[in-house]
Amino acid sequence: MSAIEEREVIGAQSRTAFVAGRVFIYAALFLWAFVCLFPLYWTVTTSFKTAPNVMQGHIVPWLQFSPDWRGWRSLGLSPDTIFQTSTVREEFLKRFFNSVIASVGASALAIVIGSLAAYGLTRFRYRFFWFRNEDISFFFLSQLILPPVVLALPFLVLYKEFGLLDTRIGLILLYTLMVLPIVIWIMRDQFNSIPVELEEAALVDGLSVWGAFFRIVLPIALPGMVAAFILALVLCWNEYFFAALLTSTDAKTLPVMLASQTGSQGINWWAMAALATAAITPLAVIGIVLERYLIKGMTAGAVK
Amino acid sequence: MKVAIYNQLVRAGATRREVLRGAASVAALAATSGMGLGALTRSAAAQADLRAQILQIPGVGKGSPTDADWQKVGELCLAGTKSNVQQGEFAGVELTFMGLNNQNLHNFLFRGFLKPWEAYTGAKINWIDLAQADYNARLQQSIATGTVDFDVIEMGAPFEGDVCGKGLASEMPDWVKQLIDMDDYVTYLKEPVGTWDGKTYRISIDGDCHTFAYRKDYYENAEFAAAWKDGGGEGEWAPPKTWAQVQAHSKFLKGKKDPLTGLDAHGFLDPLKGWGGFGFYFLEDRAAPYAKHPDDKAWLFDADTMKPRVNNPAFVKAIQDVMDIMDTQPADQINADPGTTAFQQFLAGTGGMLTWWGDVGSMARTSDTSVVGDVVGFSILPGADEVYNSKTGAWDKTFNEAPNMAYIGWGVYVMSRVDSDEKRKKAAWSAAAHLGGKDLSLWMAAYPSGFQPYRNSHFDYAEWEQAGYDRAYIEDYLGSNADSYNHPNAAIEPRIPGIFQYYSVAEDELAKIYAGQYKSVQEGADAIAAAWEKITDQIGRDNQVKLYKASLGM
Amino acid sequence: MSEQAQAAAPPSGLGASFDFIPERRRRSGRLLVAAASLGLAGAIVFQFLHATGRIPYGFSNWQPLIYVYIAWGVALGAGQVLMRGEDGHRALFVLPAVLFTLALVVFPTLFGFYIAMSDWNLSSLTGQKFNGLDNFWQALADPFYRNALANMVLYVLAVLVEYVVAFALALLLNAQIRARKFFRVVFLLPLMLSPVAVSWMVGKSLMENRYGPIASFARWLGWDNPAFFTSPWIAKLSIMAMDAWTFIPFMMIMLLAGLQAMPRDVVEAAKVDGATPWQGFWQVTFPLMLPVSVTAIVLRIIFKLKLADIIITVTLGGPGGATDSVSSFIYREYRDRSNVGYGTMLAMIYLVLIVVFVTLLLKLAKRFVRSVT
Repeated sequence: MSAIEEREVIGAQSRTAFVAGRVFIYAALFLWAFVCLFPLYWTVTTSFKTAPNVMQGHIVPWLQFSPDWRGWRSLGLSPDTIFQTSTVREEFLKRFFNSVIASVGASALAIVIGSLAAYGLTRFRYRFFWFRNEDISFFFLSQLILPPVVLALPFLVLYKEFGLLDTRIGLILLYTLMVLPIVIWIMRDQFNSIPVELEEAALVDGLSVWGAFFRIVLPIALPGMVAAFILALVLCWNEYFFAALLTSTDAKTLPVMLASQTGSQGINWWAMAALATAAITPLAVIGIVLERYLIKGMTAGAVK
Repeated sequence: MKVAIYNQLVRAGATRREVLRGAASVAALAATSGMGLGALTRSAAAQADLRAQILQIPGVGKGSPTDADWQKVGELCLAGTKSNVQQGEFAGVELTFMGLNNQNLHNFLFRGFLKPWEAYTGAKINWIDLAQADYNARLQQSIATGTVDFDVIEMGAPFEGDVCGKGLASEMPDWVKQLIDMDDYVTYLKEPVGTWDGKTYRISIDGDCHTFAYRKDYYENAEFAAAWKDGGGEGEWAPPKTWAQVQAHSKFLKGKKDPLTGLDAHGFLDPLKGWGGFGFYFLEDRAAPYAKHPDDKAWLFDADTMKPRVNNPAFVKAIQDVMDIMDTQPADQINADPGTTAFQQFLAGTGGMLTWWGDVGSMARTSDTSVVGDVVGFSILPGADEVYNSKTGAWDKTFNEAPNMAYIGWGVYVMSRVDSDEKRKKAAWSAAAHLGGKDLSLWMAAYPSGFQPYRNSHFDYAEWEQAGYDRAYIEDYLGSNADSYNHPNAAIEPRIPGIFQYYSVAEDELAKIYAGQYKSVQEGADAIAAAWEKITDQIGRDNQVKLYKASLGM
Repeated sequence: MSEQAQAAAPPSGLGASFDFIPERRRRSGRLLVAAASLGLAGAIVFQFLHATGRIPYGFSNWQPLIYVYIAWGVALGAGQVLMRGEDGHRALFVLPAVLFTLALVVFPTLFGFYIAMSDWNLSSLTGQKFNGLDNFWQALADPFYRNALANMVLYVLAVLVEYVVAFALALLLNAQIRARKFFRVVFLLPLMLSPVAVSWMVGKSLMENRYGPIASFARWLGWDNPAFFTSPWIAKLSIMAMDAWTFIPFMMIMLLAGLQAMPRDVVEAAKVDGATPWQGFWQVTFPLMLPVSVTAIVLRIIFKLKLADIIITVTLGGPGGATDSVSSFIYREYRDRSNVGYGTMLAMIYLVLIVVFVTLLLKLAKRFVRSVT
């Protein structure tokens, strides 16, 4: 067998392997996409169903059931009610904006102080009394552990004394506390994976520690920051327990309204589905917008 | 006086002068009868007009009422408020109202009703909406940490022990009592319900009791009747009157096909999963006729010692009944809570019998969740052929009925923190009285609101018929409610502090019993009793004994 | 936090700094911190006296103390820079997060321990009664609590499966594929649906045993009478699956960020060396991803340990406690039964168990990471 033939055989083999690999990859991708999307599809279509359609598990609109604006009408968001006054819609919009402010505010704050802390913890050695870097990291992590339900009374008392009940600031502070450990731990890994030599070079060039952090490290760590921001945002957006406990009229958020669609009179499937759809839409939009920053190497290559 | 009536009287031969004299004397009579408030000096005819008018908003069968309808009804029913509040009298007053948002009803309904009230009086109301699941915890925690941040609250009678017992509620002024016509309440909502230590606190806006719903088509089905007779079934194939019959019918129906849906037929639907304490009511439905002796007002605890009766032979028998027909239930029933049995099963055509609050009746007809509207019948809860006598420790062989007044309904309460400011206090009570008004309540009883009939005046079938309801259906549905409310041996909920704690822990143990984790039902029931004793000791036994007796009117 | 506590050891990561700091500057720094601390302490004492009614003036609530605290924090930071120059600059990185966290958790934690040591049923007219360790002994003997703890072990083990799936998905998304943007966003979506909606839309609607599409699918596969929450093991698996569906994206996105941050040249080098993708993964990618993986798993485990929402709505711990989690049990005890003293003690015990467990896990992981890399 000549060398050329041999190469061709291997080439053919690797080509079939390549094709098989592609097929496998795309099959897996589409399968999981289906797993992710079907429940969401179900939720979105349910907002256009009437009760018997929900009960009987109808799946395909127009074919199995005729779509109805019922769910959206109950929120005052259907075409025929959108221009009428509706207390439910006012309530929905108020809660929606409170949710936006609380979750974006908390996530942003957590990213800022969390990234700083994570950078410090990976690059410098600290000692507070007997606490060293690892203990400090663990201290942050441990704030996440307690089941929130038992913090109800302590936080109620604390917030009452500090005048933070029913304020958006109060929610932002609490949510920041809640997502800070996640941000710190994700960012620690990110900074750890960036070679120290980059900053050393920058320091030699005359940048200060902070200058090196902002000019050199931050751009490289951007994908991690975006990932952390998305996670933080989602967790804050859907936070229900403290929102129900610590807010009443001014700072109330969306998840409490979602939970209110069930009760002693059964469940308003359509309204819950509409609310869930409305609540997930902004997150999906943010996901689409931020997605591009998840891809690395916008500046990383340039530095090297 | 209305022009039309005046003309009619004149035509009937009375002179103008006599008519005026008559009108004056009617007014004088009203003024001396202790009801001299503007609202009630209107002639009865005018009131009937108003009631007929609001029942047409938006009209039966015209779809669910909207915000605009709620406001219109609120506007029309404002006469009571106008009778003792000047326009703009409460300008500058801000009140906070805490209540539920149940499927965008409750608080959203109140918002609509109170909007015209706010416009007239000049007060402003801020709203706290809670999901039902959060309600109890939020209330308890607010009380415990001194963060009561609301002036008016929508609350169920079971929590009166926690709120009124701690002096947090404002006593109802006399003018409110007259305005809302408390004499019209059905028997069991009158004292002692709504009172605490002889003081009145509650404006009822809802009445609650469990009734029995069954599928008429099952019992009108000739095949079933023949098979029942052939199978040697005892008695006629007719809606059950006792739990023993319910058991027999359920076993009989296993393996049959549902005449309406063609799917498997099932008998009685037991919710086997807890529901934040509410699930325990459904065991009570079964246990009450065995456990509630007509000579004894107490039935959940011994009144003198708070010793639980939940492990006595009556309750054990009820639990055993549940276990006995578990294999006749639909698949996955162990994961069905009462919401599932009612809305996802019974109304959707699965299952032949159900116990539930009265509103399942109006929903069967009006809700588009329901496919059984035309084939559903109602009665009071089944009884029993024997009742356990806790005094003698023996079964008395007599027929016994004991409808379960589960939850006693929602009421509106004013918190005592408004008491220091007369203007606020009047404003808060005026708002509460508006929601509890007699005419407004008729509308709430007739349309989707989350509330049920609770006044004797709600049971005027002619009024419903005029509004467009089917007479036979209304009599069947409302009749089962009225019979339960006014039953002499009704099983009344103990309004003691922490009653839902007892229910909640019982649910946890019942789940274990139903899953077969105890050797016997008795052992499981003993575990519930032990847990109840622990709660009683923790809350304070002496106090619980005192309050339990008070709540039973002993 | 005292001044001495701030003294940093010689920094390691980046070359040590040898600033010369004049004594005057050092002194002014110390002065600033001391003055700020005095101010803070003074404000606290002042407000405390007012709150306890000993002096007539003061603020109506403690809110102004927040601003005093922020001012103190700023002064502390400035003091660090003045006193310690470059080291002070470095301390500034971690200081905001530490001060923020301390401010929010000190009181709730202490108050929590105090509650845990008391017999406090919110319905009791007598209120809170100190009872020492009674709650602790009661918890040890509580069959519901022990059952829930046992369930948690299984729930936590399920994280490993989730990790494998999440890693596979991250690799898929990191591969050269078309419509990458589409898949990235789609794979993230399940995380965005709120747990309440997941419980109802998936648990109570999709998995409904008569008409739910998943039940129909199971019937089509030949399962005669699909019931997802009746037998204890299937119920557990159903809960695990729902929870996994929501949280796999959580791990996936962390792992994806890790893959993205991986130096590309290393991977390329492995390819040039002629390693098969399989070998390349085990010899290069996986070891490099270990630190991220540890973080992802640890965070996920902590979230798993708080699993409650879905269980409360869908099964309420049933059938017979088979799906009960510690959090859902505490939830019933604390909220439904207002038994806050006992409920808090349950959580504190849980906290200690978790801290021990996570510490061991991190230690193990560290050793493992070192041995592989």
